[in-house]
Amino acid sequence: MNESIVAEIRKDYMYDLAKKGERVDGRAFDQYRDISIEPGIVSRAEGSARVQIGNTQVLVGVKIQPGEPFPDTPNEGVIITNAELVPLASPTFEAGPPKEDAIELARVVDRGIRESGALDLAKLCIEEGAKVWMVFIDVHVLDHDGNLIDAAALGAIAALLNAKLPNERYEMGKDAQLPVADLPVAITVAEIGGKLLLDPSLEEEQITPAKLTIIFNKDGSISGMQKSGTGMLTSEQIYQAIEMASKKAKEIRKKFLE
Amino acid sequence: MKDKPEKLIVKGKRLDGRKMDELRPIKIEVGVLKRADGSCYMELGENKVMAAVYGPREVHPRHLQEATKAIIRYRYNMASFSVEERKRPGPDRRSVEISKVSRDAIEPVIIKECFPKAAVDIFVEVLQADAGTRTAGINAASVALADAGIPMKGLVSSCAVGKIDGQIVLDPMKEEDNYGEADMPIAMVMPDKITLLQMDGCFTQDEFKQAFELAKKGCEQIYEMQRQALIEKYGVEGK
Amino acid sequence: MGRELAIPGDLLSGDVRLAGEGTYIEGGKVYASVYGVVDRREKIIVVPLTGKYMPRSGDVVIGKITDVSFSSWTVDINSPYEARLHISEHPERIKPGDANQHLKIGDLIIAKVIDVDVTMRVDLTMRDSGEVIRSGRVVEMSHTKIPRVIGRGGSMINLLKRETNCDIFVGQNGRIWISGRGDMANIVAEGLLKIEQEAHTLGLTDRIKEFVENAKRSEK
Repeated sequence: MNESIVAEIRKDYMYDLAKKGERVDGRAFDQYRDISIEPGIVSRAEGSARVQIGNTQVLVGVKIQPGEPFPDTPNEGVIITNAELVPLASPTFEAGPPKEDAIELARVVDRGIRESGALDLAKLCIEEGAKVWMVFIDVHVLDHDGNLIDAAALGAIAALLNAKLPNERYEMGKDAQLPVADLPVAITVAEIGGKLLLDPSLEEEQITPAKLTIIFNKDGSISGMQKSGTGMLTSEQIYQAIEMASKKAKEIRKKFLE
Repeated sequence: MKDKPEKLIVKGKRLDGRKMDELRPIKIEVGVLKRADGSCYMELGENKVMAAVYGPREVHPRHLQEATKAIIRYRYNMASFSVEERKRPGPDRRSVEISKVSRDAIEPVIIKECFPKAAVDIFVEVLQADAGTRTAGINAASVALADAGIPMKGLVSSCAVGKIDGQIVLDPMKEEDNYGEADMPIAMVMPDKITLLQMDGCFTQDEFKQAFELAKKGCEQIYEMQRQALIEKYGVEGK
Repeated sequence: MGRELAIPGDLLSGDVRLAGEGTYIEGGKVYASVYGVVDRREKIIVVPLTGKYMPRSGDVVIGKITDVSFSSWTVDINSPYEARLHISEHPERIKPGDANQHLKIGDLIIAKVIDVDVTMRVDLTMRDSGEVIRSGRVVEMSHTKIPRVIGRGGSMINLLKRETNCDIFVGQNGRIWISGRGDMANIVAEGLLKIEQEAHTLGLTDRIKEFVENAKRSEK
């Protein structure tokens, strides 16, 4: 069955609930589903983490290897982020090269890590102009029940915190912890019937006209934003979204990353 | 790439002489392509973009059709010669993402129910790039849609704000974008409906507010120019 | 000049009872939904300056046969939607399977739209005003210019017919059939092109009259 078509009465029901301040799964607007993070579950990877938000499950693996720097940044390490929406995770995902949703997911996660300065790229330089650490962040979606961006972003930073620089393998001394300088947290806000809610489930995502993802640094500043969906948001809604999300980001960072 | 200039703001002026809240010069021409159903050419400073609209037209392949409304497709593409170092032709990850968010920015205004089962195709070609190509593309696409006679709730106007040397500036050009601390493109339907909002870099929440309000002012100015370009196409010569 | 242009999103009125075609209502107000000329004579409508032909029941159009099946033809009507002509809507009695013997791919016909359903399935008939176009020439323009081709009370089209002695049939889908002497048909075609290009200007009928007279003089 086509997942993108939600029965009209279901839609009406969800909008009516939103007006009353309720959600289908009984959560409050600013309430996340249960979050769990298991770091280090793939020992072959230099860093990894499995994140669950409700039924949504994302596995992020970090591979680190020496490589050549980009010519315009000869003394900086390289971050490369990729996301795959593998067919195992949803009846609507298809095998093949990444489509726009996967690309958007990867690019938003990448932006969070990059722009927050979570990785101090200068510290990842081994030999200026010749050799730097390349950090590959691969997001593997295992079960898609909504809010992939938040799960993937959380997985990415958790996997980086878990990651080691594999010095031994390349005969460069002892393995060392990957230096992580900031802890960006992405929070997605969905608009339904004029109301804003956090951590949209798959069903909520299907009826929301617009979502806004905001990525916060430790100090509360913003390092990335992305509106998606074919709806519109007012300025007031955007300010309200930032306020809601900012609080939640702090909470999640404190509980799971610090 | 040139080295970073020591300062991006000198004596209260930007490198190209602009004030903090000033847009680059803008030129908009409507109906510049013969074959397209609607088209628009836009210059935003050194950016040159062309937008064409085809449709409503039949959808191929058929399974993409929607029974009650038109589907909207948006392709943002950069010419290989549009940037300093030749860009490999064809879609890359950046242009796929830009195509998606641009479609998300334009689609909300199109009254899709007018054209069940049909498609409206929007093609944006960047001929010369100088930071802000996605916003120029959205502006041009919106005018091209009007030129194609597509029913819409309004025009979409778009511009970016950035942060350079710690200051919030409107419509960053290439050097400001390369060496700036933040970049935020937005798109807006008058009076206050945001259809695109992306940001990367670092804003405090106060800076965000200042930047966002400035970006909206920029959109308002662009809206007036889009409007004027459309009115002129038929208005002036008709006397 | 008295023409009022609107672009999508322009506020036209606070009275929703006046909302007509080319407008939409939001928050108790009427806005333009298309780029066009505002007509406030009865309701407020915006007459689009551009756009594709959207078939309506009752329209008489010029169509091109693009496919033939067992009991119907597929007809291109210069629109995003193709139309269907069932054999029972042909003026002659046709047995199923014989469709191809009466109308072939590429044939041009005059037909009337009898039905357009919500999914934009368009049905045609040739039974009352239908005709197969076997001679003359057909030109195509945006359907939005058709009102100018006809002119107020038929003034423009009658001028062209009178001056050139051609028969001219104007399909509402922007296709126009001209039949008459070759040189005169050429003048009509050129005149139509001029109308299309200058459709939005004033004093057009006078200019076309002058154009046709000049063209006839130089033909002689």
